[in-house]
Amino acid sequence: MAGFSKLAKVESKLLLRDPGAIFSMAIPLFILVIFSGGAGPGDTALPSMSMTIAVGLVGLYMVPTTLATYRERGILRRLSTTPVSPGALLGVQLMLQLVFAVLASAVLVAVSVVIFQAAPPARVVAMATAFLLGTSAIFAVGLLIAATAANGRAANGIGVLLYFPLAFLGGLMQPKEAMPELLAAIGEFTPLGLFRQAVHDAWSGAATQPLLLAIMAVYALVIGLVSARCFRWA
Amino acid sequence: MAVIEVNDLVKRYGRLPVVNEVSFSVEQGEIFGILGPNGAGKTTTVECAEGLRRPDSGSIRVLGLDPVRDGRELSHQVGVQLQESLLPENIKVWEALDLYASFYRAPKDWRELLAEWGLADKRQARFGTLSGGQKQRLFIALALVGDPKVAFLDELTTGLDPAARRVTWELIKRIRAAGVTVVLVSHSMDEVEELCDRVAVFDRGRIVALDTPANLISAVDADQHLRFRPLTPFDDAVLTGLPGVVSVTRSGDRVIVAGRGDFAGAVTSALARDHVPVAELRVEQHTLDDAFIALTGRAFDTQER
Repeated sequence: MAGFSKLAKVESKLLLRDPGAIFSMAIPLFILVIFSGGAGPGDTALPSMSMTIAVGLVGLYMVPTTLATYRERGILRRLSTTPVSPGALLGVQLMLQLVFAVLASAVLVAVSVVIFQAAPPARVVAMATAFLLGTSAIFAVGLLIAATAANGRAANGIGVLLYFPLAFLGGLMQPKEAMPELLAAIGEFTPLGLFRQAVHDAWSGAATQPLLLAIMAVYALVIGLVSARCFRWA
Repeated sequence: MAVIEVNDLVKRYGRLPVVNEVSFSVEQGEIFGILGPNGAGKTTTVECAEGLRRPDSGSIRVLGLDPVRDGRELSHQVGVQLQESLLPENIKVWEALDLYASFYRAPKDWRELLAEWGLADKRQARFGTLSGGQKQRLFIALALVGDPKVAFLDELTTGLDPAARRVTWELIKRIRAAGVTVVLVSHSMDEVEELCDRVAVFDRGRIVALDTPANLISAVDADQHLRFRPLTPFDDAVLTGLPGVVSVTRSGDRVIVAGRGDFAGAVTSALARDHVPVAELRVEQHTLDDAFIALTGRAFDTQER
């Protein structure tokens, strides 16, 4: 397992050297700072949005780009000639991206609460559950992109192309009350929409909607299985 | 003792056999060349031996192990450099070596490899900033970091400038000197001629010849030419009767002698005996290129992928 911990160490250095990591942290923070003037004290809607943006960027942009690039560059193939399997690299990457999403979200919670007087999360366990299920669902979409994109650039392009409509439908571009009803209704069931709503419910102290959690779990499972099925190592 | 044994290997992509009943064995401590044009099945053959591809039929043993079934165990004992494999742009040279060293049971000291392969001053450099030659040296060092008994090197000097190729060749000889068996995949004739103890010549998924480079060349059944400028007149009959000489022609002040086998030695001693001083003596020797044409009836470079 010495190889495994060294792999985690090197991969986390690479993750921090990736400009994508800076973007994924800076963009939601920027949005939080810019729009917090319009949100009153005790708000939880804007912080939930910013957290969704962060996880969306990690899951739809960083995960697929990193993994597809590793395949394109023959790194997964090269690893399968060593005693360490390429699956280990995949596992380490997903774990690190998850840790990164958690850290980015923690920063956003802290900044919201400490600097912008947002209400602290009302139900922490519910929020952690919503976060884990939602992140799994979003990462599963990222994995599907990684599995099917021809190369790193294509994965990057698909991720970005997918991010904007999903962010719009998920109520991250404008509050969902301001969206046409039909789009808002559809948006509730997209991965980013589910994540935002479930996190917001827990943060604000509203009742948990089990249906949202269940749909996220189904997304994670089904899309995750499909991408595992189509994943090419070379 | 054979380190690698391949028997009747067949690998198809779709219905098309890319490797068709290939058999060969590689002996302990040699540099074994796998030569052929692009698309001849060289890389596929080697990838079967590395365990990256599953043969459709036939058997492969590397160090007595089955590359597919015993892949994990075998991976501790072989080092691989793949044809189209890179590292992450942002990984530093020492990090890559340190990481790969951690994969193996009994790795070499990567700091020594760093010095040995001329990368000591690039230790902190990121992969993306290295030159082609430096990248290749790093890949070879990574292939050797697990202290393998066998190293597979695929097209390792493609894209390097002539000076960098020379340097790399010297380093490959050093791997052999350290007792590592090397399998060298190449489409470069001069590389194989320079480095390999034995060569399997691949064409269209089959081995068309397997011998030392010198024997492959000497087996070419075609005339060689010897040219010179005589400084005093002499009679062609001095040369035409010599063993091996096929024809003697003159072109201006040049004499061109066509022949086979060791005719060049006979010609020069006959000229010396008759006191005919000559200038600008050239022997046009056969190369592996000629050997390939003789074996396949086609020129080597004109192959499409």
